[in-house]
Amino acid sequence: MNGRGIRWVVLAALMAAPGSLAAQAGSIEARLTARGLPAQLAQEVQRIASDAVAQGVPADPLADKAIEGWAKHVSSERIVSAVRQFAGRMAEAGAAVRAAGLEHPSGNVIAAAAEAMGGGLQPDQIQSVVRAAGTAEEASPALSVATSLTAQGLGVKQAVTIVVEAMQHRRPMSQLLDLPSVARSMHDQGMSPGEIGNRLLPPHGDDAGGPPGDKHDRPPGVPPGPDHPAGPLRP
Amino acid sequence: MTDRRAFGADAHRYLDGEPFGELSVEERAAADRLANLARAFADRLEPVDAALDEAVMAAVRRRGAVPVGHGAWHWVVSSHRVPVRPVWVAALAAAAVLVLWLAPRRPELSRSGAQRVAAAAAPDTVFVRFELVAPEARSVAVAGSFNGWRTDALPMVRGAAGIWSITVPLPIGEHRYEFVVDQTRWVADPTAHSQVDDGFGGRNSVIVVGPKGLVRS
Repeated sequence: MNGRGIRWVVLAALMAAPGSLAAQAGSIEARLTARGLPAQLAQEVQRIASDAVAQGVPADPLADKAIEGWAKHVSSERIVSAVRQFAGRMAEAGAAVRAAGLEHPSGNVIAAAAEAMGGGLQPDQIQSVVRAAGTAEEASPALSVATSLTAQGLGVKQAVTIVVEAMQHRRPMSQLLDLPSVARSMHDQGMSPGEIGNRLLPPHGDDAGGPPGDKHDRPPGVPPGPDHPAGPLRP
Repeated sequence: MTDRRAFGADAHRYLDGEPFGELSVEERAAADRLANLARAFADRLEPVDAALDEAVMAAVRRRGAVPVGHGAWHWVVSSHRVPVRPVWVAALAAAAVLVLWLAPRRPELSRSGAQRVAAAAAPDTVFVRFELVAPEARSVAVAGSFNGWRTDALPMVRGAAGIWSITVPLPIGEHRYEFVVDQTRWVADPTAHSQVDDGFGGRNSVIVVGPKGLVRS
């Protein structure tokens, strides 16, 4: 191949690039139509997603929401409304997460924060959880745990405090992720949400601020011994 | 052991035709016997056909030969000397990387099938057993955020007393789901950690899976 031939190859490759950009921008629409959503609905969701991406909101959770609605045989109008509402909440959640110090939060963190706001957490409470988590990897599960505890009936403030204190006490993430299970177990044993919250709070004076995997492998607030009302954790 | 090693070295030198003045009488006799045996063995070998070399080389030349002729195919299979400026090679490589990077992904593959396969093998995955008591149901499946809300991907198996169940590998973290009864009815999981608004007027069941698995009530 001579120099002219190589020039043609390079030119063809560069001409293909804008096409690839357009295809990527339309990937949400393609994904939705592949799942059987009508073209008109897919285009509408694509428009919402494109606007959301321009604001730093991830598009995939929006596509997931549309697919969920379609799978549940929800009307197109309602799907569009839910997607638009979720996009707005994610934009607000993204701002809260960035205000907490995560300059480039992942889509998972923003989606978790949006779900947390949908569960009743306020932006300042989102920021508290994110700051306590410190890293993007831990912020997402921490927000999910706070959301789940709130959904289990604990007060929002109490749920946030439990998560924030657990992270400030440098509890292992495995313990944090066990909290919804423990709370559910306590609930089934007849405890009220308030009692559950009090038990899940790290006891004052607990010097458990040691490194992860410290002296006991229990979620915060769960004392040792099989006689505890929560009962032993089942694997 | 030392003597045998020394004999071996000297015998080799002898067999190679080198002077061997240091061998003893016994060693020299043994070396002579070995040399006689080697010569007898060589005499028994079949003489190599003189045409063999030429036949082998002809076969090699045929393998590497470019078909004689003209046209595109001949041009493709022939070797060429290509003068290329390094700047064009760099530009071509950059363009290729750009095209690959901008190429549209297949989100459905990455988020459903491949994700499930990866989840089955990932170390941060735990097996979660879903159960629903539905004696009257003809079919039950679980659909959720972990399988792209596909209603046919995870069908449950009916057991004794109408208890439908399935065990699914799930990544550690939060998952939202519902049961799909008879392919039409979406039913919440009464044993889930919580139920949350799904944004469509219904409720999603939520579980948060930790490394130890799921504590079921």
